Amino acid sequence: MFHSQLIKPMEDPLVQVKNLKTYYPIKGGLLNRRMGDVRAVNGVSLDIQAGQTFGLVGESGCGKSTFGRSILRLQNVTSGEVRIDGQDILSLDREALVKARADMQIIFQDPYGSLNPRMTVRQIIREPLDTHEVGEKVGRDAEVMRLLEICGLRKSVADRYPHEFSGGQRQRIGIARALALKPKFIVADEPVSALDVSVQSQVLNLISDLQAEFGISFLFISHDLAVVQHISHEVGVMYFGELVERASAEELYSSPKHPYTQALLEAIPQPLPGREKKKISITGDIPSHHDPPKGCPFQPRCPVAMPQCAEHKPPLKPLDTFSRHQVSCWLY
Amino acid sequence: MSEEGGNTGRESLWSKSRRKLMRDRVGVAAMIVVGIYGVIAILVTFELIGQNWSQLGEEGFGGMSFAHWFGTNINGQDIFSRAIQGTRTAFQVGLMVAITSTAIGGFLGAIAGYFHRTIVDEAIMWIYGCIDAIPFYLFVAAVAFSLKDGPLQPWGMHIAMIATFWSSTCRIVRGEVIKIRSLEYIQAAKAVGVGPLTIVRRHVMPNTSHILLVQSTIAFVGAIKSEVILTFLGLGVVNGVSWGTMLSASTSDVLRGHFGNFLGASGFLFVLVIAFNMFADALQDALDPKKVSS
Amino acid sequence: MSESSSKPILNIRDLVVEFKTEAGVIRALDGISFEVGEGEALGIVGESGCGKSVTALSILRLIPNPPGRIAGGSIELDGIDVVSQPEDKMRKVRGSLASMIFQEPMTALNPVFTIGNQMVEVIRVHQKVSKVDAKKQAIEMLRTVNIESPEKRIDQYPHELSGGMRQRVMIAMALSCSPKLLIADEPTTALDVTVQAQVMEEISRLQREMNMGMILITHDLGVIAETCTRVVVMYCGKIIEMAETKELYENPKHPYTRGLLDSIPRIREEKLESLPIIEGMVPDLANLPKGCRFAERCPKAEDRCRENEPPLEDTESGGKVACFIPN
Repeated sequence: MFHSQLIKPMEDPLVQVKNLKTYYPIKGGLLNRRMGDVRAVNGVSLDIQAGQTFGLVGESGCGKSTFGRSILRLQNVTSGEVRIDGQDILSLDREALVKARADMQIIFQDPYGSLNPRMTVRQIIREPLDTHEVGEKVGRDAEVMRLLEICGLRKSVADRYPHEFSGGQRQRIGIARALALKPKFIVADEPVSALDVSVQSQVLNLISDLQAEFGISFLFISHDLAVVQHISHEVGVMYFGELVERASAEELYSSPKHPYTQALLEAIPQPLPGREKKKISITGDIPSHHDPPKGCPFQPRCPVAMPQCAEHKPPLKPLDTFSRHQVSCWLY
Repeated sequence: MSEEGGNTGRESLWSKSRRKLMRDRVGVAAMIVVGIYGVIAILVTFELIGQNWSQLGEEGFGGMSFAHWFGTNINGQDIFSRAIQGTRTAFQVGLMVAITSTAIGGFLGAIAGYFHRTIVDEAIMWIYGCIDAIPFYLFVAAVAFSLKDGPLQPWGMHIAMIATFWSSTCRIVRGEVIKIRSLEYIQAAKAVGVGPLTIVRRHVMPNTSHILLVQSTIAFVGAIKSEVILTFLGLGVVNGVSWGTMLSASTSDVLRGHFGNFLGASGFLFVLVIAFNMFADALQDALDPKKVSS
Repeated sequence: MSESSSKPILNIRDLVVEFKTEAGVIRALDGISFEVGEGEALGIVGESGCGKSVTALSILRLIPNPPGRIAGGSIELDGIDVVSQPEDKMRKVRGSLASMIFQEPMTALNPVFTIGNQMVEVIRVHQKVSKVDAKKQAIEMLRTVNIESPEKRIDQYPHELSGGMRQRVMIAMALSCSPKLLIADEPTTALDVTVQAQVMEEISRLQREMNMGMILITHDLGVIAETCTRVVVMYCGKIIEMAETKELYENPKHPYTRGLLDSIPRIREEKLESLPIIEGMVPDLANLPKGCRFAERCPKAEDRCRENEPPLEDTESGGKVACFIPN
């Protein structure tokens, strides 16, 4: 544990995000004027090493999905910098962006909405290959078969339609599609949240195996801290559009520092009957974007808030000089 | 690790729908009736039946008899044959208007919906807004009049109908596409780098096909009914025979106590419209994507 | 003890529920039996297709007919025979004797009426009170579920409230006539984990205070561990294990229960190489295998498991299990 804390990255991270902001205008009034902004992502910076997984957790509305889509430019970004494998993604023109997409793919949450119901599995997985003209046309079907096999599906499924499969199988198809272009980086946006619990582990194992075999980096977005623990090397916690804590996976779960992280971990129901009932430490709801709190966004609900928390927003900084564990809180 | 796929064996959404349709007895009966009409229309086009529609007879206004099932009209022509001939006209108008207006409406609706909140969408909405603002029969009259002495004259009615019918299909498709646009498989295609027009063609339009099919059946029936009214008003079929010409003639016939034309034309029209409507309902039920799922 | 000592508020025996589908008639519930005692919290756990929601709807006879119907067995709710009760009498039962809370608070509340309107409507269906009095009662109920400034909230519309608050309103509505049995069908699944904790706390507290029987249906084993005294595990329309909560978690007898407990992602002390899984997937109800429905996924299955269905039998620790080779 000590060891992983102090290791400095040997090379530049594969994914570097600096101060990403994605704002949506709030329109209102008679003339539909812009009255303010929903700051869905409000200055988030993080980086991911090659072959590693960054788990991004947070509750609904915290901006984690928006963040994932912003990095891939599936969402309009307001400001910031995104570099994948050294390339500045946000400044690419349309043609260059299409080429760059081969390196950065996405897996979606909804196994039912993420596959075109009118296309066969074969057509769905071939589409990326055809769009980027990978190899010769004749070889592409064989590649589709290979991808199906890697994802644990029988070759006979290729000519079936999405509605004939279960949620877990559809997710596998979605994963096969994401792998088709041999990307270096995949954003997994809540990939197991919509699946039955006993199937979740199967898909998580598949993602781990793929990372081990192909060295893909993942941004694993989830609201479920339990799911993220197993699969991530580093974990970041988002609240109201900002990253409030970030650490290696072991560190975050064993010694969470931010009061929100602590509350999240406390709130998870554990399948251990007879455990002493914990006291609910936070109440209330996430703040409204129409009236964002001054200072630290968590302060209205924080059990240990201090007067300065309502005045100045704490920066995200490391616990001490060599630590990779960063917190955004005046307690530290 | 490997898993079996599916449970009902491989079948597309189309074959599932077809199976469902076949189980709807009323729908199948209606489909058969429509089919009979269709066969009649084809046979007439190939000049195999109903050819004596213009044959003048001695007995004007003959009553219903074995030789003339609906009797004869003022010129002694067999009303039944004329009604059969009218079937061809009806189908010709119906098919042409249905297919063309649905294709135009479907395409423009898909474009408008996909490019929602851009100038493309605004432009298309503006266009159909303008067209909707013009009363239908005035529009047809204007079109018919402007084409009067040109080569397109017999098609005036068709063109006018197409130019107005496309807007309702466009609107419905646009609404559906705005919903489809935010579905994740569209996002997935974008993430792969597929271009916007290719997305519309490959992903959006096939998922509106159930709407297009139903809309085309509605347009078919609407076109036939409109033809009858337009001809009645003198704006439709001028030469030849159609149910519209028969009904038009029947106004004076009825005043003299002869109902042959009226019964013949309206009978044929009524049965076709009812059967088609029932068929369209059954089709809509069978194609409903919410119901066609595992 | 596997059964409660006081007279049960709910007694279900050999319940069979069928649905007509394109693939034929399927049995969503294939002969299930259990009881809920007065003031007892029973958890029903299982995955999609196991029949837990169908069970809940059956108790209040809310199964849409067609395509579904109660095809056999009995449901006794506080002495009333639910299966044969005429519809107008059932309407009196729903909301007053037994109430239900659903998973999606947004769709369960009508967006065009204030929550006050909706609560007053529910109250006045079952009690002869004036609108003014009903509104007073409603405000009190909101206070009971810890909604702040209930006098203000009562006149708000559902969209003005957060997910957690809407669910509390649902709970308040469900409890407004002090039912003897509360059925909660995945009440917190759609909520954030911090809100979930608050809402479950409300439900537990109210259940204890009002001595209400409760059936909590969920796939979340963690929530059940914290709230229920007994647990029923369902799979493909059948009950495969029943036990007191502590016993179930410490000594699961059925391989499915064991697999479920192992494979559900949870916070662990040690990082694992690979997460434990249950092989394969839930079979299609239209195409059930012969014998034990879990056999094809079971690591311990023997030939006899694939031939015959194991009956639900008592265990030494007071529970029940349907397995030829229980632990």
